[in-house]
Amino acid sequence: MLLNRRHFLSQTASGLSSIALTQLLTREGLMAAAPIRPEINPANPNAARKPHREPKAKNVLMIFCSGAVSHMDTFDYKPDLIKYHGQPMPGGEKLITFQGEQGELTKSPWEFKPCGKCGKMVSDLVPHLGALADDMCFIHSLTGKTNTHGPGENFMSTGNTLDAYPSMGSWMTYALGTENETLPAYVAIPDPRGAPQSAGNFWGSGYLPAAFQGTDFNTANPVRNLARPAAFTPEKDKATRDFLARMNRHHMEKYPGDSELAARISSYELAARMQLSVPEVSDISTEPAHILKLYGADAAGNPVQDLKAAYAKNCILARRLIEKGVRFVQLFNGAYQTGGEGVSNWDGHKVLAEQYAKHGVVMDQPTAALLADMKQRGLLKDTLVVWCTEFGRMPTFQKGASGRDHNPNGFTAWLAGAGVKPGMSYGATDEFGYKAVDKVATVYDFHATILDILGLDHERLTYYHNGFERRLTDVHGHVIRDILA
Amino acid sequence: MRLSLLITTLPLLALTARAAVDYEKDVRPVLDDHCTDCHGEDKQKNGLRLDTVHGILKGSDSGEPLYLKGSSADSLLIRMVTSTDPKHQMPPKGARVPAAQVEILKAWINEGAKMPGEAEAAESLKLKTDHWSFQPVKRPEVPKSGNAWARNEVDEFLLAKMTEKGLTPSAPADPRTLVRRLYLVMHGMPPSPEEVEAFVQSYKPHEPYTAYSELVKKVLASPRRGERWARHWMDVVRYADTNGFETNRERKTAYHYRDWIIESFNADKPYDQFVREQIAGDALEADAATGFLVAGTHDIVKSPDINLTLMQREDELADMVNTTGTAFMGLTMGCARCHNHKFDPILQKDYFAMQAIFAGVNHGERPLRRKQDAASAAQFTALKTEEAAKQTALAALREKAAQAVMTAQGKLRPQVNARENVETFATVEAASVRFTINASSGSQPCIDELEIYDESGKNVALAASGAVATASGTLPGYVIHKLEHLNDGQVGNARSWISNADTGWVQISFPVKARINRIIWSRDRNAQLADRVAVSYRIEAAAEPDKWTTIAGSEDREPFKGAVNPDAFLARLSEEDASEARQIMAEIAALQPRIAAASGTVNAYAGTFSQPGKTHRLYRGEPLQKREVVAPDALTVMTSLNMAVDEPEQQRRVKFAQWITSPQHPLTARVMVNRIWHYIFGTGIVGTPSDFGINGARPTHPELLDWLADEFVKSGWSVKHIQRLILLSAAFQQSSTPSLSSLPYAKIDADGLYHWRFTPRRLEAEAIRDATLSVSGALDLRMGGPGFYLMDVVEENVMHYFAKEKFTPAEFRRMVYQFRIRQTTDSVFSSFDCPDGGQVMPKRSRSNTPLQALNLFNSSFVLQQSELLAARLKKEAGDTPEAQADRAFALFYNRPPDAWEREQSAAMIKAEGLLSFCRALYNSSEFLFMF
Repeated sequence: MLLNRRHFLSQTASGLSSIALTQLLTREGLMAAAPIRPEINPANPNAARKPHREPKAKNVLMIFCSGAVSHMDTFDYKPDLIKYHGQPMPGGEKLITFQGEQGELTKSPWEFKPCGKCGKMVSDLVPHLGALADDMCFIHSLTGKTNTHGPGENFMSTGNTLDAYPSMGSWMTYALGTENETLPAYVAIPDPRGAPQSAGNFWGSGYLPAAFQGTDFNTANPVRNLARPAAFTPEKDKATRDFLARMNRHHMEKYPGDSELAARISSYELAARMQLSVPEVSDISTEPAHILKLYGADAAGNPVQDLKAAYAKNCILARRLIEKGVRFVQLFNGAYQTGGEGVSNWDGHKVLAEQYAKHGVVMDQPTAALLADMKQRGLLKDTLVVWCTEFGRMPTFQKGASGRDHNPNGFTAWLAGAGVKPGMSYGATDEFGYKAVDKVATVYDFHATILDILGLDHERLTYYHNGFERRLTDVHGHVIRDILA
Repeated sequence: MRLSLLITTLPLLALTARAAVDYEKDVRPVLDDHCTDCHGEDKQKNGLRLDTVHGILKGSDSGEPLYLKGSSADSLLIRMVTSTDPKHQMPPKGARVPAAQVEILKAWINEGAKMPGEAEAAESLKLKTDHWSFQPVKRPEVPKSGNAWARNEVDEFLLAKMTEKGLTPSAPADPRTLVRRLYLVMHGMPPSPEEVEAFVQSYKPHEPYTAYSELVKKVLASPRRGERWARHWMDVVRYADTNGFETNRERKTAYHYRDWIIESFNADKPYDQFVREQIAGDALEADAATGFLVAGTHDIVKSPDINLTLMQREDELADMVNTTGTAFMGLTMGCARCHNHKFDPILQKDYFAMQAIFAGVNHGERPLRRKQDAASAAQFTALKTEEAAKQTALAALREKAAQAVMTAQGKLRPQVNARENVETFATVEAASVRFTINASSGSQPCIDELEIYDESGKNVALAASGAVATASGTLPGYVIHKLEHLNDGQVGNARSWISNADTGWVQISFPVKARINRIIWSRDRNAQLADRVAVSYRIEAAAEPDKWTTIAGSEDREPFKGAVNPDAFLARLSEEDASEARQIMAEIAALQPRIAAASGTVNAYAGTFSQPGKTHRLYRGEPLQKREVVAPDALTVMTSLNMAVDEPEQQRRVKFAQWITSPQHPLTARVMVNRIWHYIFGTGIVGTPSDFGINGARPTHPELLDWLADEFVKSGWSVKHIQRLILLSAAFQQSSTPSLSSLPYAKIDADGLYHWRFTPRRLEAEAIRDATLSVSGALDLRMGGPGFYLMDVVEENVMHYFAKEKFTPAEFRRMVYQFRIRQTTDSVFSSFDCPDGGQVMPKRSRSNTPLQALNLFNSSFVLQQSELLAARLKKEAGDTPEAQADRAFALFYNRPPDAWEREQSAAMIKAEGLLSFCRALYNSSEFLFMF
């Protein structure tokens, strides 16, 4: 709505939207705090904007593992699962989870070892990540609202289980714009196997203006329509662009100072700059061999290694984008459910040990290298790294299967970099990992905390849509202050 | 003993003998005996007072009513006095209320809980609001300015406000700008150069109004108007053609509702009827209209987990309640799902009363009731014959593709797919054919139909022709999966065979030996499912018992890698054959709606209806936190429809629709005239078109809004009448160009809310695409029927959609007919704030981004249109660059170029070619905006 405002002759003129705002402000007491709505210049919607207060981080790198990563097979060590392996979970006989009835408690197929100086117990499935435990801040007590992938992924990415709400990245770019206008403010990097199940919601802008949509590309698939069509030579392309600019300026003489028309003209200039900067940032062939090796981008020899190499290249791209000042980078590990459950993502219902053995290899080294590389380059000073998934899995195997069913009652995410305490574990699930019991946190809390680190008050960052001032955290959420550095 | 029994049963006997329970005589004494010590004059525990009528009506602080009139079983009061749970029972301590007295209370409630002075007490308790939009519409006095500028009442209201703000209107727009504006606003497409010239010819500067009025008449009568305004309405009602959520399956029959919207706008259906049909069309001979109720997202992932199932249902109903509230009344009902509305006078109870209206509505298809007369029966046969001929021609091309692969050295046939697989082989004589499956794409293999063709092209496998099917085994326990479905001539999962093991075989034996050369088989020819496909198989024929010869198999196919586009065979044909095949497929697709229409039975995604159980208020909106029963009803603050808790399903919607469309309803007419204003001027009189609540914007011109609302109802709810009024206003005909004298106005009214000029704006995604096609001459104006796809579809248990990069004339229809797929972005237009139907979108943003520039400047779509346009310009304007420029300007901007533009354009065409020139014009501001 703000973008609809036509700043005619004066960029500071007030309009309808501020009328609505005034109405709100005059009714103080109805809301906890007056909303702070970013002033969007329609001529340049992604111009850098100041946060509500001094931020701890300027950028976010979100690594999303699609399909629901099992916490008790990765970062949430449960010795009682070993002790009670093969026995029914107390009270579990009556439990009906997503796919049905539960079998027995089942220990992780992987061993856990103390990692780092902090001695964090991490599974052998992800040894490279384990080695960086001192840099991570684990939240073990996350809880969701749904046990279905689509709504679960929606919830983690938009704060709402339903479709078509603005994604977290859209909220951030709406609030903060970007420091580097020759690249998209918000980039989503889909997994080499494809986009996740709720892709449209992951990086969609929902009711926010399309200017805050994420742009999706990875090292294999460039930005759509970025390249000059083959039918035109570079000279012809430039001549056409120049002719267009002349015609547009000539037309604008009738509407002097009209910011929407001016914005149209400048959007073509920006597009031309993006045509240079996006291929440049996506070209990882300039990376030295030791970096490619660090990430595992040189892996080859079998399909799993090939996939690891492809994902590793995306990890390198993520780092390069952060280096260039892209505000929000969303890196995906795992695609939609294709070829059967758990084949192309972390949805290990039936044969978890076999499938996770592959997923672990693909995810572990490249992700760890990304974190380590960012650290050695000093990027973690300004960047918050978020690793998350839609929900957790059951401590039991499903009846008649060798895998775990969905479980939103307690799961793990970790943060690293700017704004968080390193080497920390926050909250806990019960002795089996079934339910969060200590310092229970919601996805709303998780989002509120991320916004807080970016210097944004989750209760005041709002956008009016259909009845009220909307927020990423709806009417919920508390900042998890214990984990803030 | 006998005596005491007599005494305790006496009140009961007395009750049955008496006509009605009396509050003063019968009920009050019971309450005095047991309740008023804690809930009376001295003490009001939990805010409850049972010694006054007012107190009884008000209930306790919990908000839950003490009783539900007519249903003691659902009443809190009865539950409490009969409870044996120490935590819930009343009175909490001491003696229980004797059974006889409980019976009195029950009878009183069942008889309607009448109390003297009830009406007065209820009046004093009534929820009230002084919010403007809830007040009755009053037709205001029209201001009389005496200013000749004003063309009609609309102008008088606007002028009064302008004067108040120190503004004056702008000069009239020049005729070319005006005609272009009128078409873009009303049709979402520019006029043709010929239409513009005709108007300019008839336009007389001293009397501009006459020609313009005629033009408005013509524009209002065009079917393009219905398409344009239907697209607006589709935003308001979150229309799309897929389910959304992770599976995002297609709704192939949702378009009937879209067609109904278009037809309704074109027929100028009275708006009250338009609304009623969408809520209760099944009762009003407008079946397709209830597509409204189920146009929203729908999560079809089902689980044995009851919490999930209940929440999904709550979300479905919330979608219906919210959309009904916002679309028709401008009320955000959704805010009252968990608690009383924080801003508007809407109780949580109201939300559930409205939920009860829709509690019997379910997502799904329903047959549209139509009559098949003799003529359409004959037409049906003729169309089916036509379709069969086309199918045969297509089959020949498919064979050609298959042959091309077989003859190509070392090349493999395409991998199997779920929808249709063709095996061709040299003619063999056969008494039996055996199909052995060694592996499937997942689970036990399934075949929905196995067709075996002889040399004459007859399917000899049909059971109807005497062929007999046998199999290694069949999955037990399913009515829809049976061996006889293999060769019954019917396709789809519901008429299929599934093996009882991961491998298996089926065999068809013919009554007499046949000379066969082609086999067609599939997993699901209806393209709903793509698992269980035989991927490793062998087909053998035997002329004599057990003398099997292999005639086809999977060895020469590409290995199975997953679901594929069923159109993959096109790639194996020559360009000429491929375009012929595409043409035939398009023709077959185009026949389907006609066949469907003639068949007399057509399904539409318009919901199904069943009598629902009771609706409860849910504490904090949580499905397992049931509170009191709520009857279907209107908003408490407005009225009560006095429906029973178990009101018949359809009646609920009928009565509710009648209430919404009552001429006295304060919101319905106001909301719609504001939408019309919003879509004509780009902003509404109320800036929040689906929120007329306290949090919404205030009207800039409240009197005008009311005058229009009243005029709307008086005109018989004619949308066209209101559109005509606005279009004929001087305000609409003003210039958009600022003048020296109006420069300071920008400081007073930057957004143009007071209409001192016509405010320019960027076109919406659909208008840009339609205009692009219209200018190139490629636009296909066929109306109605199934939509076209801007995405390629790959089917699995979840659907995958990939933006198309190549377009054929099948995709050159108006964008309102796009098969809109939730959660997807097409290759060009989604970046122009084009909603995917995931949520209602009463007002679109108008973003301006470099990605839009890239999409228009580099996409294959715009490039293709530029090529078509270049050809058109050559054809219509010859080879002279100046003439080409003139024609292009007439098409793009409805005006001739000025001298500078003509010179620049000609130079550009000469230096860089016509194609580059066309590409530039498609990106020009003047083309993409309305002025």
